Amino acid sequence: MKRVAPSVTRRSLLAGASGVGLSALAGCSERFWSRAENASPEQVELTIKTVPADDDAIAAMIMSQLRENLQAAGIAATHEPITEAELYRDVLIDGDYDVFVVKHPGIDEYDALHGLLHSQFVAERGWQNPFHFSDVGADELLERQRTADGEEREETLTELFDYLLETAPFTTVAYPDRIGGARENLSLSRPPRQAIEFVDILSQEFDNGPFDRPLEIGVYGETLADRLNPIVVDRNRVQGLLGLLYDPLARRPTVDIHGSGETATYEPWLAEQIEWDDDSGLTATVTLRSGLRWHDGERLDADDVDFTFRFLEDTSLGDVEGTVPAPRYRDRQTLIENTNRIEVIDDRTLELPFGSTARPAAVRALSVPILPEHIWEPRSEVIAERQTRALVADNDEPTGSGLFEFGETSMDELVLEPFEDHVLRSTDVPNRPNALQNFSQFEGIRYQIAPNVGAMLDALADGTIDVTANAVPPDEVTTITDASGVSMTTTSTTSFYMVGYNIHHPELGNPNVRQILSQLIDREYVVSEFFNGFAEEPTQSNALFGSQGQARLDGTESTTPLSVFPGSDGEIDPERVRQLFVEVGYQYDDGALLK
Amino acid sequence: MTLVSVVFDLALVVATMLVTATLVIVGPRRIAAAVRDARWRLEVCLLPLAVLAFVLLVRWSTVDVVIRLERRVVGNNITPQLFELEQLVFPQNPVTVLQTFASPALTEFFVFIYIYGYAFLLLFPFVAYFALSKMDDLSTLILAFTANYAIGLVCYVLFIAYGPRNFDPLLFEPLLYDVFPQSQSLTNQVNQNTNVFPSLHTSLSMTVFFLAWLTREKYPLWVPISGVLAISVVISTMYLGIHWFSDVVAGTILALISVYIGRNYTIRGIHRSIRSYLDSRFGDRRSVEQQ
Repeated sequence: MKRVAPSVTRRSLLAGASGVGLSALAGCSERFWSRAENASPEQVELTIKTVPADDDAIAAMIMSQLRENLQAAGIAATHEPITEAELYRDVLIDGDYDVFVVKHPGIDEYDALHGLLHSQFVAERGWQNPFHFSDVGADELLERQRTADGEEREETLTELFDYLLETAPFTTVAYPDRIGGARENLSLSRPPRQAIEFVDILSQEFDNGPFDRPLEIGVYGETLADRLNPIVVDRNRVQGLLGLLYDPLARRPTVDIHGSGETATYEPWLAEQIEWDDDSGLTATVTLRSGLRWHDGERLDADDVDFTFRFLEDTSLGDVEGTVPAPRYRDRQTLIENTNRIEVIDDRTLELPFGSTARPAAVRALSVPILPEHIWEPRSEVIAERQTRALVADNDEPTGSGLFEFGETSMDELVLEPFEDHVLRSTDVPNRPNALQNFSQFEGIRYQIAPNVGAMLDALADGTIDVTANAVPPDEVTTITDASGVSMTTTSTTSFYMVGYNIHHPELGNPNVRQILSQLIDREYVVSEFFNGFAEEPTQSNALFGSQGQARLDGTESTTPLSVFPGSDGEIDPERVRQLFVEVGYQYDDGALLK
Repeated sequence: MTLVSVVFDLALVVATMLVTATLVIVGPRRIAAAVRDARWRLEVCLLPLAVLAFVLLVRWSTVDVVIRLERRVVGNNITPQLFELEQLVFPQNPVTVLQTFASPALTEFFVFIYIYGYAFLLLFPFVAYFALSKMDDLSTLILAFTANYAIGLVCYVLFIAYGPRNFDPLLFEPLLYDVFPQSQSLTNQVNQNTNVFPSLHTSLSMTVFFLAWLTREKYPLWVPISGVLAISVVISTMYLGIHWFSDVVAGTILALISVYIGRNYTIRGIHRSIRSYLDSRFGDRRSVEQQ
């Protein structure tokens, strides 16, 4: 082949260069002017907060699509990445945001929506109504599902979801599949996250087990072990860890199928027996197991349980006017009619009064972690306005009553030692949970903390960890399947990516606007492109509000208009969206949506 | 464990590079001379070195306080502004433009430059200037580095900024940790992901290059080598999606300021002027001319 170089004269080169230069400048100034003109003070402005890609790449991708679509719809949308613990602080504690994208850990039962949306919690912190949503219609339905059971509860819930389609207090984008890897000899059915799932692994019989070494669990992230306070939200966390350290009265088993009007099954944990009585208002008589102890050797008795519920309601224990509720578990505490009427009968027995609440919702109160009174009572000291020591304590050496006690931690590991004095470690206790049948095949648990997901998966391939316990992004699946001696498992989950709206923002206070914004994410595209199919798209009205994976509910098929994406392949058709805004009374000027 | 192996690798590779470069650029004669009277040389630059060590120690020991100050008290997140400024000025973000050339070989090269090349670039001038007959250039280098770290620390408290890879994974590729995830155990030790404005990779590399230019008569060969390396480091920070173009510009300005400080001031001089100021202020008439 022969190559002929084109002859380049100096003049043509100069002309070309100056042409390129001029056109670049022209493009630059055009951009400058159009941007400058569009940023008029009249335009609707929204800031989207989400975690940086280091913390959650999928959340950042969803944010990216939302930002582009909002901008195409004429909204001045900007994006502020903010680290996980600080995002929780801004959204769940300070209410300092317009729109946020975050992965919600998932709800345990329909009744959890009561905490998420009831106007009684507008001033509270944590996952208690972070949107400042207050709607009497929704309040009424949220209260009614608490007191109802059977068919009446199912109908109330269906009605609630129809109502939420109209008011759109938040948006559910997708339910990510949990992806995990484990050494082949572990043959796991699902990647573990919750305490009970770790217990399941430890109770599994192995060909070459039991092992005289700890179960090695891989997690990744920064400052995971810095705050081990079970009642605060502004922290990074290792999922399931605090559930292993702090026992509740009863635990939901891994697999539980029941109707939405029925009561879920719970396995007695600290409780030996729970008797329900609804002659005059619902009450539960709880009998604790005998010989319960805290990790520091103190006795655990009925007063600790009574204390826990009073403390979650008011961490100042009556020291301030009003209350300082705990940001976590607060909603479950409100199931108890009046914490002052909890009756401690003796060391091992107490009566929890639920009033008009019915059992399907009431059982949730049993899953609250029980706190040691002798450690948390001194933390009721008020240290600033609406702030007690309990809410700022790092609790870096947690004392609980779980099967494992806190051992040691460093930057790259966290060790849990077996708590030998736990009554459930002996096999001849009454009502021993089924999950503990072959407990335990390992001696303790060691979390190995990697800086990022790639390093965690390297550790799995090297055989230094047994199982992963943090989200594996879908594009890393091949890393697991390519490794030898390692198997991949996936399972659908109840956790979901959520877009939340701050109702205090002048435009977001309008339900019509929230309805349109809820349509601006192409859920189908997100599932196929961002998740590579490793996620589920919400297709029913209950699933559009975080309730996928809960008991089946009739009459939830209708999802319009929230599920209709006005565009294709993740990009909106600007004309269609503008039409939607115009229909609800908004105006455009030169492509900008006006306030 | 992974951290140890990453550091060991780094030490091995960089030591090899240092030895080779020293033999070629400095030459055996100068080295022998420098080793012979190392004691005198060390004594001369002990004070600047102590100050640099002190600044690094402050940086290292105040990480928790600085993070709290930066995120909770000052809370000045400029990431959206950096992104929008660049959208405004450029038809396409420079990081996106660089990443359109991405290929596995290029990525390997830039990862090498970002980690190993950078470490070598920072360490070699210490050896080279130590081997000179006067310690002036070494003192300048140390003071310039000190200024870089000190001013950088102040900026990091004032500005929270995430790099492109953290801002939007659809627009920018997070190449470094895709290719070499273990390296994050090292980079997390050195810095947080909110500290990208200005780019210290850029400012320290450019500082070395500027000083190489100023000492071109003593080490003519070092000018092109440090130039190529410094520019590569600068490009790598953007190519790997770690820094914005703005961080690089700010880093270069910081380098110029630091070199200016390094050339025109000395630790002793600063110390003396502070003392004489205090003396005149408080009327203490002790001898000012002692040192």
